[in-house]
Amino acid sequence: MATLSSAHCGSSIYGNDHQRARFSSIQKRFLRSGVSLLYQSNPIRNVVRMQDGLAAATVTPIESEIPLKKLKEGLLSVTSTEGKDAISVDDKGGDSTVSITVVGASGDLAKKKIFPALFALFYEDCLPEHFTVFGYARSKMTDEELRTMVSKTLTCRIDKRENCSEKMDQFLKRCFYHSGQYDSKEHFTELDKKLKEHEGGRVSNRLFYLSIPPNIFVDAVRCASSSASSTNGWTRVIVEKPFGRDSESSAALTRNLKEYLEEDQIFRIDHYLGKELVENLSVLRFSNLIFEPLWSRQYIRNVQLIFSEDFGTEGRGGYFDHYGIIRDIMQNHLLQILALFAMETPVSLDAEDIRNEKVKVLRSMKPLQLEDVVIGQYKSHARGGISYPGYTDDKTVPKDSLTPTFAAAALFIDNARWDGVPFLMKAGKALNTKRAEIRVQFRHVPGNLYNRSFGTDLDRATNELVIRVQPDEAIYLKINNKVPGLGMRLDRSNLNLHYAARYSKEIPDAYERLLLDAIEGERRLFIRSDELDAAWALFSPALKELEEKKIIPEYYPYGSRGPVGAHYLAARYNVRWGDLGLEQ
Amino acid sequence: AGRLPNRLFYLSIPPNIFVDVVRCASLGASSKKGWTRVIVEKPFGRDSQSSRELTKCLKQYLNEDQIFRIDHYLGKELVENLSVLRFSNLVFEPLWSRNCIRNVQLIFSEDFGTEGRGGYFDNYGIIRDIMQNHLLQILALFAMETPVSLDAEDIRNEKVKVLRSMRPLELDDVVIGQYKGHSKGNKSYPAYTDDPTVPKGSLTPTFAAAALFINNARWDGVPFLMKAGKALHTRRAEIRVQFRHVPGNLYKQNFGPDLDKATNELVLRVQPDEAIYLKINNKVPGLGMRLDRSDLNLLYRARYPKEIPDAYERLLLDAIEGERRLFIRSDELEAAWSLFTPLLKELEEKKIAPELYPYGSRGPVGAYYLAAKHNVRWGDLSGEDS
Repeated sequence: MATLSSAHCGSSIYGNDHQRARFSSIQKRFLRSGVSLLYQSNPIRNVVRMQDGLAAATVTPIESEIPLKKLKEGLLSVTSTEGKDAISVDDKGGDSTVSITVVGASGDLAKKKIFPALFALFYEDCLPEHFTVFGYARSKMTDEELRTMVSKTLTCRIDKRENCSEKMDQFLKRCFYHSGQYDSKEHFTELDKKLKEHEGGRVSNRLFYLSIPPNIFVDAVRCASSSASSTNGWTRVIVEKPFGRDSESSAALTRNLKEYLEEDQIFRIDHYLGKELVENLSVLRFSNLIFEPLWSRQYIRNVQLIFSEDFGTEGRGGYFDHYGIIRDIMQNHLLQILALFAMETPVSLDAEDIRNEKVKVLRSMKPLQLEDVVIGQYKSHARGGISYPGYTDDKTVPKDSLTPTFAAAALFIDNARWDGVPFLMKAGKALNTKRAEIRVQFRHVPGNLYNRSFGTDLDRATNELVIRVQPDEAIYLKINNKVPGLGMRLDRSNLNLHYAARYSKEIPDAYERLLLDAIEGERRLFIRSDELDAAWALFSPALKELEEKKIIPEYYPYGSRGPVGAHYLAARYNVRWGDLGLEQ
Repeated sequence: AGRLPNRLFYLSIPPNIFVDVVRCASLGASSKKGWTRVIVEKPFGRDSQSSRELTKCLKQYLNEDQIFRIDHYLGKELVENLSVLRFSNLVFEPLWSRNCIRNVQLIFSEDFGTEGRGGYFDNYGIIRDIMQNHLLQILALFAMETPVSLDAEDIRNEKVKVLRSMRPLELDDVVIGQYKGHSKGNKSYPAYTDDPTVPKGSLTPTFAAAALFINNARWDGVPFLMKAGKALHTRRAEIRVQFRHVPGNLYKQNFGPDLDKATNELVLRVQPDEAIYLKINNKVPGLGMRLDRSDLNLLYRARYPKEIPDAYERLLLDAIEGERRLFIRSDELEAAWSLFTPLLKELEEKKIAPELYPYGSRGPVGAYYLAAKHNVRWGDLSGEDS
């Protein structure tokens, strides 16, 4: 079958391709001001606020000019979708430019994910013609030194080796560096000046990626918004987790951010939302008739969201120790996947429609109860000649830390669609395998004709849909099948879609998609403030209780399947963990 | 020698001597103390009347439960698996009706002609040879209601029920064809009538396509399209289930104008290279939001390395064990004939000329028009299959 290659964003050769995401996202941006849903945003006010840097709600006289500008941008965006070679949208082509400032450029995330993702976007012609990348951090570096640092982690996609080094050079030429403190307005003003130089008078859109420790989020946002906002385009800030430690701190953080930014300027990243199979979850649900009748308590017995890493904190546990696995993985990544899985059909594929549905389902959930949680912590283990350290052996971790590196939880959604269906989550470090998957276990067939062919273990007779997010992306449906032969024996076989076999092109990194969406203003994959509140509301009470009561985690050996308590938790709801079966 | 004797007679003889042999075998060679069974191969008559005659004659000497009419397609692995798929998997249960299924296609093709042995075939034609039995049997298994149990009689009861709920086939809903000679490169393929054993002006169809309907609550309005032919471009037997569109489809704009390509399809390939695959819409990996159709795929050769037994092995074993599930009961046969007999009579009385199609092609064009009449596209000709 002719496989459509993944859409080249922005490239005009594909101008008449209706399937480009850009088409819809650009339209949506234009429509945004007219679409009012649960969340209102005023596209006009933000420019004004950024200029003033004040928290004032009053609008300055400049406002009258702004609507025209915004309207013009919007008009440009509409015409450009129709004309392949027309003037491009505000952030593409001759009229405008995008400046991406990576705040915290010398950090790990920047080196491993952000710069490589930007380069990959550049390589795929997804970045606007005029763009600049600035690194901003405290260390003193020259532009050259930044480029050297960045070049070490850039790679080209496997299937696109040609002119790779040339492209790298071109990309690096657009990378610059400015050193400054994160809480200094002066330094940001200097940055602003440099940015303006590169922008050369065009409409400037600015994206700030905050790759810095959470305690300086607000300072950096304050300085960036007051001193380095765009005067004639948009300014957006991408924020990485953690978003607080609990409901109160998260709400406070949001409040602080909103002193300087509008809701639609805040892009909270959860990079799992950018993963291929998580994106595909909605496609699977809503574009395939065969799954539609199955997606409720009538057919689904339980849902399991499983995450495991096969390594520990490896000497960098100091940061992790403040948060623990529940805040690190469950409250965000797994919960986001759950929301996408369980939400009602959205009105459209618009960001706000989708996020509205996610918030709805999160708010329909019961807060996590302590008795529905099992926590664990990995201990040292010697196997063969190799000895693996325990969590507390990590020098950066306090000796008596009770921080969980493993957690299993049972959550419930109190609505008509999901009442009574256990949603089991499991996340852990230093387990036996590296994996992230969604498993849907279906119910038994009522009045099953083949009862006697299955023997006594009817649990093995049910269907299961498995979506393996990583590694080795795949979707498979376990069905009962007759074993070929003269008897009538049944077994379980997979209707299998293996991405590596089906899609030969390399799958882009989640950060590429997310950065592209941030540049395009597509908010579907970013967490909205009310969404975040709802997420915290589910976990905060349990987290508080865990910490106040100083609950001791169950210890499990490094590299094992995790604490036994997880099995008992599942058993309480009559569930077996699908990933621990023998049938892999 | 003193043991309990059970006797099985497999009649592999021309149909005109069926009754004689049965008479003689049952009178002269029946088992006194054990069972005596007779396996009969098709053809079971040429139409309702002759079939009834044959059954009457057989029943002069045999009971119903001694008659084992073979339809060897019922012994094929994936045809056996059809019921397992339907009844032991919850995920398919809600989908198995007019609510979710748009049409069902039963497709059979051979890539060779009669090859000098058309004399026998010419008396029957493709409808009697393949459609009225093999494809209809598969249809019955596909469409029947859930049986009370896996017992032979319970299953056969359901099959009879569904066959009797069907409308007899009408001439409007049938297209017949016959293959003609064709040269490709320097190879030349003969026409059906070039076969020396076939009468020169024979109108016998070597291809037929038909649309059948089941008038019950589960299947009202769903076209069951059958297609069978010799000397086509490929050798294949498969069941294709095309599902409906998603109502209020969120992803409408991703599919472009051809919404037909946006539906799910379940394909069971009976032969060659047994497989089951489910075509679903999937996001193409990459930065865009493009959808394509991909297969959730079960390929038997990959999953089950043991060689799959021949259908006859299973059927003989079942006959010996007295398991009648895979053999055709008399009332079943009667119901099957009543669906096709009026049509066959009309075809022959009116001397309807078949549409000629080249040897090795995809068959007569009329088949497309028949499908289009019921708003269907043949799934095997879409070019999408691996």
